[in-house]
Amino acid sequence: MKYLFVAIVGLVLGAAAAGVVLYFNPLAAKSAEMPSPTDRVLSYSLPDHVLEFAVGEDARLFGQDTGDDSLWEETIDRTAVLALVLNDGSNQPAALASRLLSTSAETDLLLRGVLVSDHWLVTVPGEGTLFVQADSNAWPFMKETLVPVWYLDQPWTGPAEYWPTIGPGADDSGRVVGVTGVFRGSEGSAVERYEVTALDPARETALAKGELHLNLPGPQVAAQ
Amino acid sequence: MKTVFLVALILGFGGTLAGAHFAPWLEHARLPSHTSVVANGGRGEQFLIRLPADRIAATDGEAGGLRAKGAGAAMLLPAQFVAEPLLVEHFKVRDAEGSVIGVAARHWNGGGAGPTTTWSVLIPSRGALVLSGPGEARGALEGALRAGGYSAGEAWGGQIAVPMQRDGDGAVTAGTGEFEGLSGSYTESWTVAAVDEDGRVSGTIELNTITSRPQ
Repeated sequence: MKYLFVAIVGLVLGAAAAGVVLYFNPLAAKSAEMPSPTDRVLSYSLPDHVLEFAVGEDARLFGQDTGDDSLWEETIDRTAVLALVLNDGSNQPAALASRLLSTSAETDLLLRGVLVSDHWLVTVPGEGTLFVQADSNAWPFMKETLVPVWYLDQPWTGPAEYWPTIGPGADDSGRVVGVTGVFRGSEGSAVERYEVTALDPARETALAKGELHLNLPGPQVAAQ
Repeated sequence: MKTVFLVALILGFGGTLAGAHFAPWLEHARLPSHTSVVANGGRGEQFLIRLPADRIAATDGEAGGLRAKGAGAAMLLPAQFVAEPLLVEHFKVRDAEGSVIGVAARHWNGGGAGPTTTWSVLIPSRGALVLSGPGEARGALEGALRAGGYSAGEAWGGQIAVPMQRDGDGAVTAGTGEFEGLSGSYTESWTVAAVDEDGRVSGTIELNTITSRPQ
């Protein structure tokens, strides 16, 4: 009996120590390199620029009500659909974006973090449509901001800035494919940045500003 | 006693780290893929969208028409985009057996040299497929319905097929996951069975894809 008790204490302490290692693990906090200053930047703010947000029942970071139109089926219950208006450098609406997001099976708390597969379809009126594939690491945001402030009632000390993109490109950036219009045939990279500006669990308020940095070298052909 | 404690400590530490590394925390439920082999090469797969049940949302604006109605929540465009020839729709996507397997975004852009349509279809357990091609003419759905006797504000029933993407025009543009590196083609057809007094469309969208891996 005494041996069993000692074994259980050892297991629990060992698991707790591993938990501490995972929490402070720098391997799960990497991000893509800073984008080039010449990149095209499309920006958004949350929730002002959200046209629509549908979320699966198991993908609710903020524990929000999914409503009647939730993505409840088991094949899509860790998925979200987000529509955004994107502004240009003069802060005027320049594009519409659909983001299809799902938790990633590549999630690895030891080496990579909590990964989200992010698929953007961005249409710039008069120019064309782009597809952006990005692997985003949500772990730094969850660890530093969401869990302490939203779930553990610690005081908000923001704003907090995040560069979540970690792939799938070789330089840890996202991948851009030009699909139609002047973008057709071009390929490049993308990096997302966002800044959480307010987080208030009592009022159930979360405000953020985001940017999508697009680097599109390569051929650009005439509109389709 | 000390040995037991140390062994348990190491097991607890190592087991937790191994679990964090190897455990399939966030894998998605997957249904069997209903694919077929195409006679002249490639893999055929059909995706279905049942309207109005599978419509998540659609943008309003002048290009929306009937397709902006009946959505769970209309996406209200900013004033700068209301008159733009632009329609964004979001759907749930089903396999050929009718089971929901993913979500999709459809962007119709009527500006530039000619209308274009782009689909992004995400099947979480498999990856994303991007399809694009020439877009339908503005108001194609409304025009076909009017030709079939539909009048705005009145309920209508019948069977009208509207080919939105004809054979040979639509292409597989990009893919991720198990769709990465595939090329191919697709067709898109809408079959409308009813429109109610509020303009809510009932019918089916069929996306028929043929994909293959370039040699």
